[in-house]
Amino acid sequence: MASRNLPPRIIKETQRLLSEPAPGISASPSEENMRYFNVMILGPTQSPYEGGVFKLELFLPEEYPMAPPKVRFLTKIYHPNIDKLGRICLDILKDKWSPALQIRTVLLSIQALLSAPNPDDPLSDNIAKHWKTNEAEAVETAKEWTRLYASGA
Amino acid sequence: MDSEDDMHDAHDVESLDDDFYSGDTPMGSEDGDAEYDFVDNESEDSEDVTSHRQQQSYTILSVSDIRQRQEEDIHRVSTVLSISRVAACVLLRHYKWSVSRVHDEWFADEENVRKVVGLLEKPVEMPNARELPCGICFESYSSNEMTAAACGHPFCSACWRGYVGTAISDGPGCLMLRCPDPSCGVAVGEDMIRMLASDEDKQKYSRYLLRSYIEDNRKTKWCPAPGCEFAVEFVMGSSSYDVTCNCSYSFCWNCTEEAHRPVDCATVAKWILKNCAESENMNWILANSKPCPKCKRPIEKNQGCMHITCTPPCKFEFCWLCLGAWSEHGERTGGFYACNRYEAAKQEGAYDESERRREMAKNSLERYTHYYERWATNQSSRQKALADLHSMQNEKLEKLSDRQSQPESQLKFIIEAWLQIVECRRVLKWTYAYGYYLLENEYAKRQFFEYLQGEAEAGLERLHQCAEKELQVYLEAEAPTKDFNYFRTKLAGLTSVTRNYFENLVRALETGLRDVGPSGNQANANKNTSPKSLLGGKGGKSGKAKVIGTSSRSGDEAWTMATIGLASTAPTRTRGRQTCARCANSTGRFGLCCLLLCD
Repeated sequence: MASRNLPPRIIKETQRLLSEPAPGISASPSEENMRYFNVMILGPTQSPYEGGVFKLELFLPEEYPMAPPKVRFLTKIYHPNIDKLGRICLDILKDKWSPALQIRTVLLSIQALLSAPNPDDPLSDNIAKHWKTNEAEAVETAKEWTRLYASGA
Repeated sequence: MDSEDDMHDAHDVESLDDDFYSGDTPMGSEDGDAEYDFVDNESEDSEDVTSHRQQQSYTILSVSDIRQRQEEDIHRVSTVLSISRVAACVLLRHYKWSVSRVHDEWFADEENVRKVVGLLEKPVEMPNARELPCGICFESYSSNEMTAAACGHPFCSACWRGYVGTAISDGPGCLMLRCPDPSCGVAVGEDMIRMLASDEDKQKYSRYLLRSYIEDNRKTKWCPAPGCEFAVEFVMGSSSYDVTCNCSYSFCWNCTEEAHRPVDCATVAKWILKNCAESENMNWILANSKPCPKCKRPIEKNQGCMHITCTPPCKFEFCWLCLGAWSEHGERTGGFYACNRYEAAKQEGAYDESERRREMAKNSLERYTHYYERWATNQSSRQKALADLHSMQNEKLEKLSDRQSQPESQLKFIIEAWLQIVECRRVLKWTYAYGYYLLENEYAKRQFFEYLQGEAEAGLERLHQCAEKELQVYLEAEAPTKDFNYFRTKLAGLTSVTRNYFENLVRALETGLRDVGPSGNQANANKNTSPKSLLGGKGGKSGKAKVIGTSSRSGDEAWTMATIGLASTAPTRTRGRQTCARCANSTGRFGLCCLLLCD
């Protein structure tokens, strides 16, 4: 098994993620590589992503937890802080990372980002512009994309 | 959002009063002391700059000087604020090593400063339990295996070491390290680093700390010379930005390019950009090539006939003149080698546009090349002179002293001559960048400039020649030479004359050549030297001298000879050497020799 050389912290985190999952979030390690997680996040209620199921991938690099995990959306999503490759603009995934954070806190932060898009710190300029000039229309597009790409569970 | 930005914004609002005192706008205080804003405020134009060469407006700091100053600042803050040395260091680093700013902020709102910087008033003890879980590896340890910053958040020593090590290898950001607990912002200071980091990392950390003292402070900069470890502290309000480091490298404190007085930073930046810009390549291609009519790749015709065959894979055959297919050429077009289609079309004006563009590109390229070549030649000449100066100082002077039985103290004039040559080459080099940007239509200024530059250059060539070639004789002499004293007078004289010429040139450029006016007001160019008496030489008129002479007689719209007190004894600059009328010595470009030295 690939878990032989796994640091105890990762094993503990994985066990807790599986036994006490956070609401609306599931994360399970891949069978081939215990550092690679298949993640699903439910679109938060009262957000344009409500009703959608979003797939992500999460990878724990060798330096983890001193370095942040690498996370990416696999499901297409219309969001000012997520680009078309699914990369996420989130401070704790970059310079604000702290080894005291965990997979769980990262995924909760991503879920919160879905509830509160931040067009002032955009990753995708076009979407952010759309968000700032016509929020209602941008929200409609986000809902549309959720229906189109995130509904087939 | 970055918490530090928040802090800055907050600070700016609160420090309105301070800024008001210092007479600066609150906008300007974003990242430094208001009092240092002089660098930004002082404009590039050198209108008010006068010659202050002697007055040193800067201090060179060695690594140990820097450490000492840093230590003193830390000690001062620590004493005045009654806080630990480590806390003082964190505070100073946060406020960019400005002691006064730390004092101001602290006494204005200590609580807020503590929050922003991450300094607790009282340290919090670690939770009192026999076993504690580490927040990073999730293992439990007995409390004596755990370490915490002032906030008491416990982590095991192994995780702390990993945390500190990662931060240090990530770069200077480690100077602002905080407790790993994401909800806590307490600073992790140098004391923790000393306890937890490897020896190598400790050294790295202390280097970052030293660098930060220079790099975050707007009054200090590192000397940009490769491998040089000195820093320079600049005194605000000084008129000249030129500084010379102890490593002997001279640079402009404002733009950190090599020293470029009297040319301003903007011109230098433009020139340097131009020298490396692709645009010159494009110009060359435009001027010297035509695109293949089929594949559009540029082709340079460097020889041969008009029948061009493009290189594979295109292989298109065409006529260089009309760019038409070669297959259409023959009897009909006036023979293979006389394309009358081109001649006819040219007469109709069909090629004018592209021809003119090519011509213009060619001219502008030639103009640039003219200035660039002279700039580059003076640069390499200066490097050579610098090497000569060093070899003179290190070996030749001793030899010369030996051969000529002169004490070395009596040979200082040679070193002075070489120092003057090195400095003049530098100035001369930059005047070519200046000349390139001097507008073509500022006719009078251009003439005045070229005259001053020409005089300075000729003087320098003569001095350089004397120091390089004529000295050789005395170096190789077997026994003391009688006319060594003559040589001394000559070289010292040339040094001083050349210095005067260059001072005039520098002064004229620094005042933007404003002494040139249609009414012919008295220029200051003749205050130091008296060109009239020095330059009353004879000799043929040619080249620029002729142009100048003409303008002195005909143009009252332009600068006239009278403005610099030369009138009819116009300077005569020729490219060749001349003979002094009185002593029959060969004199180089002017008839100077006699008046200076033969009397």
